[in-house]
Amino acid sequence: GCSMAQKLVQALSTRGPQLLSAAVAYSKPRLATFWYYAKVELAPPTPAEIPRAIDSMKAVIRGFQTGRLAQLTVREAVRNGLVATEVLMWFYIGEIIGKRGIIGYNV
Amino acid sequence: MIPPVQVSPLIKFTRYSALLVGMIYGKKRYDYLKPIAEEERRVEAEEKKKREELERIAKELAEGSPSV
Repeated sequence: GCSMAQKLVQALSTRGPQLLSAAVAYSKPRLATFWYYAKVELAPPTPAEIPRAIDSMKAVIRGFQTGRLAQLTVREAVRNGLVATEVLMWFYIGEIIGKRGIIGYNV
Repeated sequence: MIPPVQVSPLIKFTRYSALLVGMIYGKKRYDYLKPIAEEERRVEAEEKKKREELERIAKELAEGSPSV
């Protein structure tokens, strides 16, 4: 007969709640840390911050125009590149949400 | 725990704008691709039907000829 399947179901039904509570206990503090940082770092900009963002953008454009580009250190340039890459990845996350599929368009 | 980093508003603004633009782009492209895929599926089904029809005729001819 299918004794292995029966044993699996038995094991799940007895150990299942244990594993579940263990998983919850493990993840709770880590989720709390994640939320603690995400609340500040991943939060969307408040309406008050938007003018500051526009000012920063103008400062960046002015920096391009005045040739501050030549004074950038490699370290700063690499850091800016990483930040730009991260912002670009948010575009792809948005595309995944918009097309309602992770890989490819499920048309 | 180290305190969370105060992210500059420019980065926050561009991140969420990129997210929004991505969502809109994904939705628009999906709406564009969906009718094209349906059309292709329809054409494929029609051609498959024709092919099966031809195969059926060919099979009947092949079965019919020995007895002819």
